[in-house]
Amino acid sequence: MLGSMLWGVSLCAAQSTQEAPVPDTTGPPTMLADQLPLFAAASVAQTPGQPSWIVERRACEGCPPRSVGRALFQTTVVNVAYGLANLVRGQVTAKVTPKTWWANMEQGWVWDLDDFTVNQIGHPYQGNNYFNTGRANGLSFYESAAVTAFGSSTWEYFGETNHASLNDFINTTLGGIALGEMFHRTAWLVRDTHATGRGRLWSEIGAMALDPITGANRFIRGDASRVTDKPADMVPSNLAASVAAGVLWRGTQGNDFTADAQAFVEVDAVYGDPDRGHSRTPYDAFAMKLRFGGGSGLSEARVRGRLLGQPLGDGGVQFSVVQSYDFQKNDAYATGSQSFEGAFGFTQNLSSTTRFLMLGWAGLTVLGAIDSLPIGLTEVPEEEQTGDAGQGVSEGPRFYDYGPGSDFGATAIFSRNNRPFATIFYEGRHLFSLDGVRANHFLQRGRVDLLLPLRGAFGVGVTGEYFDRRTFYQDAAATRVNYHYPQVRVYFTWGLS
Amino acid sequence: MGALVRRARALLSMHTWVRGLCLLALAPAIAFAQAAPQTPPSQPASGVSRAWFVAGGAFATLRGDCQECEEDFPYRHSGAVLVDAGYRVNSRMDVGAEVFWMPIDTSQGTIRTTHLDAVAQFRPWASHGFFLKGGAGMAFVRNWVDVLGPDSFNEKGLSVIIGGGWVVRPTSRLGLQFFATQHAFALGDLQASQGLINDVIGNRWSVGAAVVIR
Repeated sequence: MLGSMLWGVSLCAAQSTQEAPVPDTTGPPTMLADQLPLFAAASVAQTPGQPSWIVERRACEGCPPRSVGRALFQTTVVNVAYGLANLVRGQVTAKVTPKTWWANMEQGWVWDLDDFTVNQIGHPYQGNNYFNTGRANGLSFYESAAVTAFGSSTWEYFGETNHASLNDFINTTLGGIALGEMFHRTAWLVRDTHATGRGRLWSEIGAMALDPITGANRFIRGDASRVTDKPADMVPSNLAASVAAGVLWRGTQGNDFTADAQAFVEVDAVYGDPDRGHSRTPYDAFAMKLRFGGGSGLSEARVRGRLLGQPLGDGGVQFSVVQSYDFQKNDAYATGSQSFEGAFGFTQNLSSTTRFLMLGWAGLTVLGAIDSLPIGLTEVPEEEQTGDAGQGVSEGPRFYDYGPGSDFGATAIFSRNNRPFATIFYEGRHLFSLDGVRANHFLQRGRVDLLLPLRGAFGVGVTGEYFDRRTFYQDAAATRVNYHYPQVRVYFTWGLS
Repeated sequence: MGALVRRARALLSMHTWVRGLCLLALAPAIAFAQAAPQTPPSQPASGVSRAWFVAGGAFATLRGDCQECEEDFPYRHSGAVLVDAGYRVNSRMDVGAEVFWMPIDTSQGTIRTTHLDAVAQFRPWASHGFFLKGGAGMAFVRNWVDVLGPDSFNEKGLSVIIGGGWVVRPTSRLGLQFFATQHAFALGDLQASQGLINDVIGNRWSVGAAVVIR
């Protein structure tokens, strides 16, 4: 539950939580990467009577067989598949030749002019496919991260006629890692490896919809019909999820609130116990949020994955290192980022039934994006494409900025009988624009959630949110512009566990 | 005239080799794709240091560019030094910080570029020396000169590094690595006397060797 507040996910995600085993706070770290060579070494020295999965270079009976070469090969296949898909769609950027490869290598990295959604969602999703070629072939999280960087860089240089894009490389690699591990673990939740027959088939198909690369590998290898235990590190210590459906009203620069309510559906999930435990297994705890509608088809996507967790002192304070992926796009603004944070969490029991949780974090934004408004404009103008450059070639201008920066924040949550009833959340982010308008951006978001439990897993909630954006232009007049976007959401929630 | 052409050809040949070597390192061949025997222990023996240290030199080619410029910017060549210090996560992975420094003499003075990056180095096959490297951090540029005008700039910006190479280890802890890397440094917009230069990005291709202690 703490995770939901701590990680910036709305409190409705935390309302239904199954009892979980308390994680071992004193035991040694369990890192699959460290165990793999031991299993591999065991396979070399196999003796009669040993299980066949050791011979097959699996880390456990339900784990995929390990093969780095197959992972790199499948990454290349993914690139070829995306390239062919672009070719079929008639995109001139897909007509690659050795000449275009050489031109890209001579030029080096550039910033690209693609659409915000393509760069901030499309590329991370493509990176998730690279990442899962590693996971599907028995590689650890960090090994798969390297495979993602390999897939991304080879795509940028050899997959398109466009010059290699620095922002794509960062978004594909870091976003791909975050989305990839999130999808990989979520797919393992769906998979029922003890089932047989039609039920098993549908669980594998459902999992493949979330993680196509692992799913395809399992069908090809025959793992999709083998009855085994799940890999131990793919079984979360805790799991909570909720679905919220409601309406929101958002203000714009010229209008405090739009007249029309916008419908939305939101999915929140907390996997594992992000607020406690000694952990060196990346993403054994993560939180994610997806919001559909509310100003855009997909208006928000967030993933917060714990890279390591360490209790401090007597365990009252928890330190975590977190990887974050953020995407927000609606009819008023668009932001996105790839970042890493250090976080401190603190828990206090106020009574036998009421608990208070507090979390603070600060970190570095490797690359952030924010829609940019040149001086004198209050709205993003419609892009005019001449079409001269051919289909798939973005000619610009591009109305959003890219740059690194820093971020920080804090959240507090009050819960009663393990059901949160109030959350306060604040987040600040600074971006130094390296591509786009010449400016510094300071973004602040404050939010208050109030939730009233109804019968069973159902509840009703209201959220007030305020997004404040200050742009400090580096022009001769040192122009400062302040934009603010208030928002109110009202919704019903349904907790899942 | 003939000498000029010969010099141009020599430079072109040098570019070709440098970039070709970078390409080889950045695109691990499928030839390595067969599974290799897994042998090394993941954790060092108790009491053995987990420090990771690399120091070496490189030959590098640097080119600055801006997104909307029509000019043909030159490739500049020089030596460079690098130092990595960090932590051995396991037998395949090292993480740490890298300083990469490259001075370049030009007719307008010496350009000095320094990259301070968080890096990770990963060996896909523990029994082979092949490794991939990647990271990001900050770039510091001093006396940056371009072909657009007489201005020079002191700037800092975003740095990204990718690369790869091969390490040979005659002893368990001491080795020699050969590498090819590509750095990118994004400086943003530069205010020059003739106007604003938009979206300046530098790229550097380097090949070199370094001593490794891990």
